[in-house]
Formats: sequence, structure tokens, C-alpha cells
Amino acid sequence: MSIFLSNNIVTLFFIQTILLLFSIYSLFISLNIIKNWDFNKTTSYQYNLEKKSYLISLIIFFVIFVKIILFIFFVNSLDGLSSIVPGAMCASGIINANEYGTILLFFKIFVLAGFGIWLVLNKLDIEALDYPYLVKKYYLFLVLFLSIVIEFVLEFLYFTNISIKRPVLCCSAVFQDTQGFASMMKIEYILILFYINYIALIISNVMKNSLTSLLSGALFLVLSYFSIVYFFGTYIYELPTHKCPFCMLQEEYFYIGYIIWITMFLAVFFSISSFIIEKFIKKEYNGGYKLSIIFSTIFVLLCSYYVLAYYITNGVFL
Amino acid sequence: MIKVTNLYKIFNQNKPNHFEALKNINLDIKQNELVLLKGISGSGKSTMLSIIASFSHPTSGSVVCDGKNIAKLPDKHASSFRSKSIGFIFQSFNLIEELTVEDNVKVPLTVCEDKDISKQTKTAMKQANIYHKKEQKIKNLSGGEKQRVAIARALVNNPNIILADEPTANLDTANSLVFIETIKELKKLGKTIIIATHDSIFDNLSFVDRYLDIIDGTIK
Repeated sequence: MSIFLSNNIVTLFFIQTILLLFSIYSLFISLNIIKNWDFNKTTSYQYNLEKKSYLISLIIFFVIFVKIILFIFFVNSLDGLSSIVPGAMCASGIINANEYGTILLFFKIFVLAGFGIWLVLNKLDIEALDYPYLVKKYYLFLVLFLSIVIEFVLEFLYFTNISIKRPVLCCSAVFQDTQGFASMMKIEYILILFYINYIALIISNVMKNSLTSLLSGALFLVLSYFSIVYFFGTYIYELPTHKCPFCMLQEEYFYIGYIIWITMFLAVFFSISSFIIEKFIKKEYNGGYKLSIIFSTIFVLLCSYYVLAYYITNGVFL
Repeated sequence: MIKVTNLYKIFNQNKPNHFEALKNINLDIKQNELVLLKGISGSGKSTMLSIIASFSHPTSGSVVCDGKNIAKLPDKHASSFRSKSIGFIFQSFNLIEELTVEDNVKVPLTVCEDKDISKQTKTAMKQANIYHKKEQKIKNLSGGEKQRVAIARALVNNPNIILADEPTANLDTANSLVFIETIKELKKLGKTIIIATHDSIFDNLSFVDRYLDIIDGTIK
């Protein structure tokens, strides 16, 4: 049996299908714009393309907006499905129910980051006098369209291959200390690296150096993930053996996981975006640095708060 | 100052109700020139003004103002262009009835930065000879006074270009003559002025530089 026909999944696919249809329409217009765009022309055709470009930008903006909400809904739905699939305690079990889950999750984050880059490029384009990045932003949309299609297929394969009879592993089994990166390195070292990396990220962003911001941002993503799962998460759950990136998304923990993960991803996105945007626009771009500093600081303070609060309350660390 | 080239405006293009409002308009208006666009209702005068004011886009052609093709300006830049360079006087004044004269005149400045709002508002009201009514609400004013408020609002940004669409359509003869005198003063201030009208009161005015007849969307 499959969970494909559960209410949340049907809703998810219904909305994804609508977004895909919008994207297909946008794709055809984008191809037309890429092929025929000449800003210097004052022909009826060119004016028409300018109007269509405005419409397409608006449609893509709508798709991005819905996709952001849909991503949160997706994660929330996974958590909800844990009550149906045997063995699952949270979204962790569901995401690992088959080989497509983890790939899909990362792919969704990749697509959102790609659309984030598109949004910044679009903002820069419409703020200029002569749409200097218009063709580039539609080329980027072609890549994003392909990503949307792959995401759709992955999502279909993922949800059609989750059985409600086959037991899955719960988070305590998935995120054991003896597995992966965390087993190679002591958590103390990861933590020291995490805070050093945070300082490096702040300095890179204050100095407005796009390359070091890219590198420190990418490292921050990896170190933050392991720090949350193997250290900060245990203070949120107040249980040293509870290591899971998903349980903190539950009501029991006041949905704090959403704020933690969102601030972390925004900090990383704005840190690495400057470098990528500069590659597109071929000039300096300083729009992301300040936001990266703000979000990374909120994230680090929030994570550290749980450790300090536990220590103040109990007089010991976990 | 304003150069219009091969301008077309077609409504409902390729549809059964296809209508060509402007057909191949070519026009060159110099700084401080006063141009009168004359034509019957539906001839394309208002469409022409709305394109010059960047309220709407042409179907094809260009409108170059100070080196920029304003027909191709993105929305944000079009708004900025309007707030800095254009003063528009509407046929039905388009004032906010519940606000005072002063508040109506201030409206265009609310979207501008680094402006001395009270000083500019006062100057504009004095230029339009409506300063003495600054505390009055619009609903309590006569047609002629409303027209002067509309002029003050058009002048408050100190724009180079003044566009007036049928400015005397709602005025009696006496107030129309007052309006003409105001326009004469504005020309002395170096403004470029385009007035679209079919009112014969504007005929044979010595200070008008050019009379252009628009017939069925074409300048004759």
C-alpha cells in the first residue's frame, strides 16, 4: 500500500502540478524572450516582449512564493505521515523510507536557493534602466525549470514508494554517533570549528569579500548541520541521546526547528549569493552581506541560548 | 526636449474591436515651447499626453525626453521620471475631496525624498494663486478654485514639463481666461507646456508657439 493518496500528499501534488503548468507557460515565453529580445528596438513586437517579461517575472515570483510555503508544508506533511508509517517517530523516518527521500529534500533546498538567486537577479534587473540582466535571468529560469521537473518526478517516485506496511528506522537509529562525519570527529571539535566559522563568516561579510563569504558560508552549512543534530538539538530536546534534525519541527518543541533551519539557510544563502550574483552581473554586489550577518547571528544566538538556558536551569551541561 | 518618433498606439490589437488611437506621430518639442494639441473628442489627444507622461506605453515608436526613451522605462523609473519632470493637470482635476487644498498639493511630494515639503507646497500654491484657501477642503471650493489647486499640485515638484488634458472643460469662460493667464506665467518661468483641448478659447493666443491638429490619431 502507498501513502500517495493521503490528504497532504494529494494537496501537495495538486499545487505542484499547478506550479508546473505555470512554469511550462513561463518556459515558452522565456524562450521567446531569449530568442528575440532587443531592448533598443521600438517595434510593437519588442514592446510586447517587455509586457510579457513583466508578466513572466510576476508568474515566476508567484511560483517562488508558493514553493517556499510548499516546502514548509512538505516538511510538516512528512512529520504528519510519521503516525501512519510503522517505526517512524518524526519526519526523519519518513524521509529515509526509500532512496529518493534525502535526494528530494536536498533537491528542494537546491531549487529554493536557485530561485533565491533568480529573485536577486530579477530585482537588480528591474531596478536598472535597460533590463541588463533580463536574458541571463531567463537562461537561469531554464535551468530552474529543469530542476522543477526533476523535483516533480523525484517527489512522485518518493511518495509512490513509501509503504505503510514496511517499517522504517526512527531518528535515534538514523543519527547514531557511530555513523558518518560525526563519528570521525569529536563534537567538541565540531563546535569549536562552528564558532570559529561563524566569526569567519561575520568577518568575510563585514569585509564584503565575496569569495571568502562563499567559502565560509558553505562551511557554515556543513558545520551548522552537524552542530544542530549532534549538539544543539540535544539541548532543545533536553536529552543527550536524542539526535534528530526533524523532531524540533514538532509542536512539542514549539516549532523552534523552523526558525533554526530557516535562519541557518538564509544566513548561508545570503553569504554565498554575493559570489554567484557577481558571476552573473560581472560587477560587485553587496546586497547579501548585511542579511547574512543578521541571520547567522540570530541562528547562533538561538542555538547557544538552549545550551545556556539548560546550564542556568540545571547547573550542568548535558 | 521631447522627441516623438513613429509613435503608434493601438488598443485591442488584432481583436475585433481593434482601434488605432495614434498613427505614426512624429513630433519635436523644444524647451520652453508651448504646444496646443487641438482635436475633437476621441482624436487621440489624451492618449498622446498619457504616453508623454509615461502613464501608458505605446504600441510602437519612441518618446525621448532628455535623452531617455520614456516609453521603455521600467515602472519604478517611470514613476521617478513623472515625479521629477512632469506636472499633469487633469480634465476632472482628480483631487481628493476630503483633504484640504494644502494636503492635495502635497500629495506628489510624499513619494519624493529630500524635499522641503512645506516650502515647496507654499510656493506652488502661491504660483497658482490658491494660497489663501490652503485650509479649505476641496469639496467646499468652486470649479475655478479646484482648477487652481490642480495647477498647484502639478507645479509642486517644480517639473520642466506641464501637460494639461482638457483643462478648461469644467470651467466657465471667466475661469478659463484665468487659467490661460496662469499658463502664460508658467511659460515665462521656462516650462515646456503641452495642452490638449478642443476649446476655442485657446484659438489665436499670441504666446502659443504651435497649434497642432490631431485628426483620427494623426497630426495634420
